[in-house]
Amino acid sequence: MTATVHPDRNFKYWLVAPAIFLLLLIGLFPLIYSLIVSFMRIDMMDTDTSFAWFYNYKTLFKDSRLWWSLAHTLLITAVALPIELLLGLAMAYLFLEKMPGRQVFISLLVLPTIISPIVAGATWRLLFDNRYGPINQILGWFAGEPVNALWTINPTLVYPAIIFCEVWQWTPFMFLILLAALSNVDKSQTEAAEIDGARFIRTFRYIVLPAIWPVMAIAILIRGLDLFRIFDIVWALTQGGPGTKTETISIYAYVQGFKQFETSYTAAIAFLVVFILTVVCVWAIRRMGLVK
Amino acid sequence: MVTRRDIGKIGLGAGLVTALGRPAWAADAAQAAVEAAKQYSGETITIVWEAGLQSLDPLNFSGPKWKELTGIDVKVVEVPVAEMFTKIMQDFKSGAGAYDALNVIPSWMPDLANAGALEALDPFVDKYGYRDELQKIAPTYRDNQMMVNGKIFGLPDDGDVFVMYYRTDVLNDPAIQKAYKDKYGTDLPVPPKNWKDFDQVGALITEVTGGKTYGAAFFREPGYGNFMFQERFRNEGGKFFDADTMKATINSDAGVKVFTDWLAENKWAPPGVEQWGFVENLAAFLQGQTAMTISWPPYGRWAASYGTDQEVMSWVPKSTIAGKVGYSTTPGGHPELAAGFCLSVSATSKKKEAAYLFIQWLNSESVSLERVKLPYALRDPFRDSHFTDPGYAALWPEAKDYLKALQDGANTGLLDLSLLQTDKYEEVLRQSVSKLWSGEDPKAILDAAAAEWDAITEKIGVDKQKAVYADWASKSGAYPK
Repeated sequence: MTATVHPDRNFKYWLVAPAIFLLLLIGLFPLIYSLIVSFMRIDMMDTDTSFAWFYNYKTLFKDSRLWWSLAHTLLITAVALPIELLLGLAMAYLFLEKMPGRQVFISLLVLPTIISPIVAGATWRLLFDNRYGPINQILGWFAGEPVNALWTINPTLVYPAIIFCEVWQWTPFMFLILLAALSNVDKSQTEAAEIDGARFIRTFRYIVLPAIWPVMAIAILIRGLDLFRIFDIVWALTQGGPGTKTETISIYAYVQGFKQFETSYTAAIAFLVVFILTVVCVWAIRRMGLVK
Repeated sequence: MVTRRDIGKIGLGAGLVTALGRPAWAADAAQAAVEAAKQYSGETITIVWEAGLQSLDPLNFSGPKWKELTGIDVKVVEVPVAEMFTKIMQDFKSGAGAYDALNVIPSWMPDLANAGALEALDPFVDKYGYRDELQKIAPTYRDNQMMVNGKIFGLPDDGDVFVMYYRTDVLNDPAIQKAYKDKYGTDLPVPPKNWKDFDQVGALITEVTGGKTYGAAFFREPGYGNFMFQERFRNEGGKFFDADTMKATINSDAGVKVFTDWLAENKWAPPGVEQWGFVENLAAFLQGQTAMTISWPPYGRWAASYGTDQEVMSWVPKSTIAGKVGYSTTPGGHPELAAGFCLSVSATSKKKEAAYLFIQWLNSESVSLERVKLPYALRDPFRDSHFTDPGYAALWPEAKDYLKALQDGANTGLLDLSLLQTDKYEEVLRQSVSKLWSGEDPKAILDAAAAEWDAITEKIGVDKQKAVYADWASKSGAYPK
């Protein structure tokens, strides 16, 4: 008769415990620590680090510059996201069919996404330069006279400039994802609709869109979150100027944290952003039907 | 009874004792630092230096030379100037001790010293007999940029001052002089000594040349505009604060006049001047596109083509105006001692003595003279002996006039505002300049800026800041005398 070995029922937990502990350490600890910091008075220039409780959160509500930066962020997101989506979709349709040099063109189109955003922003700043930049020069050829558009400081031009850069860099991301999604749409269904005389819009609305929606929704969500956190391109182009007219929430947080050294207040801003993004994500995931 | 003869003997005796008792290094602070530093041979010290051209000094010249003389390696941490304060504070707050010696902008010194990030240098200065040589630093820098609360925290090491550069060939052009006399009824002032004359001359040059040569260009980019505002505001009679209440007064008539005049000047300055910083302004001047400008001392050297043949200077446009440039103090006569650098020792350093000896050697009369003459360096003359050095005066034909303009500027220059948390006040000024270019009303901008300054002062503590401001305002370079 052999004795039955009863393994320790908790043994499996011991096995995963180090990994969980490590994850908590590097993931949860900073989060909790920054939450605690947001209730304190820490700034780099002062020795008083006592608890301020809700002072920083109350300050958030009175800080008009913060709410303006949030509005700027939402504006950029609201304009750039639909443009990127529509352009990406159009390009994906264009490259869906086989054509000579297709792979080469796709590779070239994707290049902007692999450039660091800060480098892209700095490059566009040079392109937009009013003296040496080619953009004003090209516009001048069309206008028949020198064009001195101040792209990065004129309040009416600065948003188009930022959104143009953003769209230039991230439309290829939409394009790639949507191209992959469109490639997986069942061709027999679209061909059947075509034979039945359905127009493009109806075919897209009732056959293609439902098929690509889960992928498209994820792409919208990812780009939406990215746009909400936009920093590099705006920083390189305008540093939030003129004045604070293009200051986004990330730039404002950076300025408060690393230029003004308001550590606790910056932590409070960070938690405001976490809160907003969590609400938006949960709403979007439900609304888009990503979770059954 | 002590007779006059006795006093003479005592004096002679004391003189002999002093002379004989003086350590050998008193004759040469550089040599003293080298001899003392040899005990640390084999060690490495780390120094924070502004990234770019500035750091070529320790990388190519002083660092290797120090190693050769003492056996001490110098590791240079290059940091963009906008991040230097943050990096220094982060190192101090974390207690990491990653830096031994520091480059510190003088207006930061109260913040860094009060936080405890800088080591007081008095004991080292006395130990290595450096006080005599410190006294030979030009008074503006020595008296205003070295101490906090009576203690030495930095060795002034850079004679940053704004200089007005003007094209002698353009301002002396008979056609332009005649047009000026016809329009204003007086001779064209060469160079203009006040802003009214400057603006008249500048606008007229643009008008006469049709923009082939613009009358002037300026730093207008907010980071630089901050310095330009501080200078011009005080030359117009402005005061930053009411000394009794500590209420901000930058929204006074003087402030509004500066902003209004800037908008008017932009109309005859090159298009897009609102975006111009150091490089744009430099390129336009060296290429002969502007007749006058205001900037730091390197413009003068590069306009004369001094050092621009060096490979590291290849980004500087070739000067087309060498021999045609005049130098003067800025209009109003009180130029900004904009930024500048002091050499300090980090309070968290584990090699403070070695770090101090390095900065004493760098800052010493003999070594600093070599450093300010480096063709690629951005350190500007800051010792009395630099301004009168025959070797420097012979570097290009007009170098003597250049040195005189620098010395005049040093004598009458205005200090950057330096308070607790200075950068918060400066950030408001930078934002204000940026708002001006976006078309907002000057008075409204400055009213908002004054309100923000008041809020910053309230947060820091009015009495605390008032004391620091009183100390700063009592310095010789705070306001025009």
